[in-house]
Amino acid sequence: MNNLTASDANPSVPHHESEFKQKCRAAWKKSKAFFHGNPPGIIGGFLITMILLGALFAPVLTTHNPDKRVARPHVAPNAEHIMGTTRSGRDVYSQVLHGARKTLSVALFAGIIATVIAVAVGVTSGYFGGKIDEWMNFITNVFLVFPQLPLLIVLAAFLGQVGSALIAVLLGITSWPWGARVIRSQTMAIRSKEFIISAEVMGESKLRIILVEILPNLISIVFGGFLGTVIYAMGAEAGLGILGLGDATEVSWGSMLYWAQTSSSLYTGAWWEMIVPASALALTGGALALLNMSIDQVSNPKLKTGPHLKLWKKLNKEADKRRGLV
Amino acid sequence: MSFLLRRLSFYFTAFLLAISFNFLLPRMMPGDPVDALFAAAQGKIDPAAMDAIREMYGFVDGNIFQQYIAYMQSVFTLDLGPSVLMFPVQVTDVLAMALPWTMFLALGSLIVALILGVGIGTYASYRREGLFGQVVPPVLAFISNFPYVVTALLLFYFFGLKLELLPLAYTYNPDVDPGLSLEFIGSVLKHAILPMGSMILVGIATWVFNMRNAMINVLGEDYVTMAQAKGLSSFRVMYRYAGRNAILPVATAIAMAIGFSFAGSIMTEIVFNYQGLGNILLKGIMARDYPLIQAILLILVSAVLTANFIADLLYVWLDPRISK
Repeated sequence: MNNLTASDANPSVPHHESEFKQKCRAAWKKSKAFFHGNPPGIIGGFLITMILLGALFAPVLTTHNPDKRVARPHVAPNAEHIMGTTRSGRDVYSQVLHGARKTLSVALFAGIIATVIAVAVGVTSGYFGGKIDEWMNFITNVFLVFPQLPLLIVLAAFLGQVGSALIAVLLGITSWPWGARVIRSQTMAIRSKEFIISAEVMGESKLRIILVEILPNLISIVFGGFLGTVIYAMGAEAGLGILGLGDATEVSWGSMLYWAQTSSSLYTGAWWEMIVPASALALTGGALALLNMSIDQVSNPKLKTGPHLKLWKKLNKEADKRRGLV
Repeated sequence: MSFLLRRLSFYFTAFLLAISFNFLLPRMMPGDPVDALFAAAQGKIDPAAMDAIREMYGFVDGNIFQQYIAYMQSVFTLDLGPSVLMFPVQVTDVLAMALPWTMFLALGSLIVALILGVGIGTYASYRREGLFGQVVPPVLAFISNFPYVVTALLLFYFFGLKLELLPLAYTYNPDVDPGLSLEFIGSVLKHAILPMGSMILVGIATWVFNMRNAMINVLGEDYVTMAQAKGLSSFRVMYRYAGRNAILPVATAIAMAIGFSFAGSIMTEIVFNYQGLGNILLKGIMARDYPLIQAILLILVSAVLTANFIADLLYVWLDPRISK
């Protein structure tokens, strides 16, 4: 019913437009509003899109097999190997694109695991409170206070060289407490709002209240936490990789760093073997952070700067004028 | 006082959990733990040392519960056994040499990043619509989210190898005698610039953003407007009125940052060949020196827990209300 009146009132939207198209239009409008006057968001979004496309179309974009010796060792960047070759004669450009797939999927997978645990723990402990909250909060704090990365390094050292799937799982189950803490406090703030109380009075089930009433209000915080975990997981994977604790036979940014380190490429002047994967990690981490920063502005509009602030000041002045204050 | 007591008992419980984790680790390895533990050292280690390590790990006769008690005893008496890698040196002696450097790097960079970050964050939020407020935070967010290893590698390459400005290894020049001389302190500082600098770069954004978020809430308060209306200088309003009140929520984030800082120190030391725990950890991993690796984890956990307790003391000093 609502959709019909909206399109009636607006002649520019054709009457026969399908619901899908309308939804697309709404999504486009929303994303335009998100990126408008938000340079960090635009830059971050652009970089991430490029990196994801590069990883997705790696087989098409690359010129050589990343696992095969295709040239002499440590060939400097040239027309055929635009980013040079490694100590073992593999093409760095092909490796960095294929490595993106492994590294990003490990980071995303770890992020998803951590976010699911964080939401489950955070919402449960924030909504139910009492003894449950006490216990869950204790466990969260213990996990928070432990140095995660050294713990992971020791675990990996005892397990021997671990595959990327296991690394993702280990990262996921150790990096949820930061998200859980933020989600818990936000849930506690929402819990006493009127719409939750009225839902309780109406006799809605606890599960429905959590899923339908609380979770939609946490989306930006949950997504921000997810991006933060992805950044952390990517760095941890690179760290484990350079220590030789990852699976060095897989092509990932971490294993590329490992091989560059063991062949002491920086000392022998073959900087490309080390600097290329390092820059890839740096760009991805930075771009994700810019995106995360923009999402923060959605959940807390007070953080907005620049054009938004100027607009607000202008409107404020206008309002003062109409009130006859100026 | 009860607040600090509660915190102390929390840290003690956490420490017990860490010990239990350490106790279970070798028992989780596939195959017979004792064999796996010494597989790497086979032939290189004499039976007496093996027995000593075995005993330290609690692989004594008896059920797992008795073994656990035996392990606890060796941990609390600081008897962590000899190192496989550097036999017959005791693990505790190896770590005692390295720990101060890691603490220096981790806590030093944390404190510098905290001071710089709080200063920048305060200014950036006060001048939100200006160029500084719009440009500096996103740029810092971008740079600070490079992984620890990557920042270290980039600085190592550009400032150490390319420009040859700063030393690339060790904690101080081996030609200088350690002592309280100016030359020694200068050498230590010079060797610390790159590793510490890279850790500060990674750590600083946390404080800028925490401070900015806290400041933005405080800047809306009436007493800030009042201070501005009185005609106080903006420096005074920024730091003495708004900043002082915004710093409290920022202080709670210190606890979380300590663990991160130690982890970052481990990674940075490996890149810069800095003679701290991270470097020894790398050697231990390569030699499969499990007693050494476990001792490093234990000592890191204790250092982080202690630093957290100190942060709690600081918090009580900043806000006496919470100790009641």
